[in-house]
Amino acid sequence: MEAITGWWDDFFWGSVAVARIFVTALILTVLFGLIGAGAKLSKSRVAKSIAGGYTVVFRGTPEILVLLLFYFGSAVTLTAIAQAFDPEIKFVDIPPFWAGSLAIALIVGAYATETFRGAFLGVDPGQIEASRALGLSNLQTFIYVRIPAMWRLALPPFGNHMLSLIKDTALISIIGLQETLFVAEQAIGTTGKPFTMYILVGAIYLGFSTIITLSVMVLEKYANRHLEVGR
Amino acid sequence: MIFDTALILDSIPKMLFGIGLTFQLLFLSAALGLVLAIILLLMRISGRWYLSAPTMVYIYIFRGTPILVQIFIIYYGLPQLEFVRDSVFWPILREPFGCAILALTLNTGAYVSEILRGGVLGVDRGLKEAGAALGLSARHRFIYITTPIAIRLALPAYSNDVISLMKSTALASTITLLDMMGIARTIVAETYAPYEIFISLMIIYLALTWMIQRSFGWIEKRMSRYVRSEA
Repeated sequence: MEAITGWWDDFFWGSVAVARIFVTALILTVLFGLIGAGAKLSKSRVAKSIAGGYTVVFRGTPEILVLLLFYFGSAVTLTAIAQAFDPEIKFVDIPPFWAGSLAIALIVGAYATETFRGAFLGVDPGQIEASRALGLSNLQTFIYVRIPAMWRLALPPFGNHMLSLIKDTALISIIGLQETLFVAEQAIGTTGKPFTMYILVGAIYLGFSTIITLSVMVLEKYANRHLEVGR
Repeated sequence: MIFDTALILDSIPKMLFGIGLTFQLLFLSAALGLVLAIILLLMRISGRWYLSAPTMVYIYIFRGTPILVQIFIIYYGLPQLEFVRDSVFWPILREPFGCAILALTLNTGAYVSEILRGGVLGVDRGLKEAGAALGLSARHRFIYITTPIAIRLALPAYSNDVISLMKSTALASTITLLDMMGIARTIVAETYAPYEIFISLMIIYLALTWMIQRSFGWIEKRMSRYVRSEA
């Protein structure tokens, strides 16, 4: 254990990096999921097929492949653009933080698309008709009726998506983001204790997973608070 | 940005050279993982706390940490421990292939045992009661009534897990294995053409996903041939 002494602050900042990516990617995931679900439920055939292609591609290819494509692809493109202006520039990339967040959000967003689509379809049509009868506008119906009813249905699977998201953040160390796994590699370089360091990383991730699982339980209870009387 | 078609045509056969390794990783760890999952399931539903509690801890740990961290703990971490280096398993754990199989097996075993448990819990109680009324012993009820129905119920979720296992095999490239992903990364490092190589590889992986889905679709259809009229 004494090998870890002196590395605590690095691991702490690594964990902060993980949390930051997680929050960023989570917001993007919800966004992609809602857009995807909206497109899949829309009447437009073009939107439907684009969303269909999106879910097929991002659910059917390895995460690491999407991540490397994003990072190196954007680097090649940006470098080519930059060299057109200034031939001296050797290499330009988008920060690993953004390449990584975007890549994992797109992947998990594809799963969230299916979840949200199912949840929107699961909302009782009677409730929507009732809100129409009360004279609510489409937007009001969406915000006050569809969303609260839908997130109750979407929450349990979405909790699993959040767990995939936190676990996918580990991949971003491959493109050089200084999160816990990256810190562990540096620590191993000086201490020569790979087992200790990687177990610590595992423990940190287990902590994150536990926090997410517990939060989802609390949120589920909150979302279902009106239904508890009947049970 | 122009696509280098000659490079694509040149590198696809090279990447397909690694498909054998991808298949080996997939089939070996899927088979071993299924055996592990069945053992874990039987321990979990045994009703004895000293069997079910360790299983729950195991599942919690392996589902709560990233598979990449698990691979690193096994490949880079275990050699730190002296008793591992002295053990009979060392010839397996010394090789990246053995480590990849071990990590994928342990990981998928945790997920699949939960899927199987869902199937077992989903079996209609009435059927088991009918079995008891017919005088079948608990063991016979489990083998002849619960198991066939549970398999049918668990199959759709299981096929998703096989797909995510297939995607996880790409992570073997992080521990120097030259599966399709590993070969693609080598080619990209040499040619610096991420779009051409990675997008071609994405298509190959999508084809694999499609094949897995189709095979399971066929099995599902065959297994539910008696219940099709209800559905």
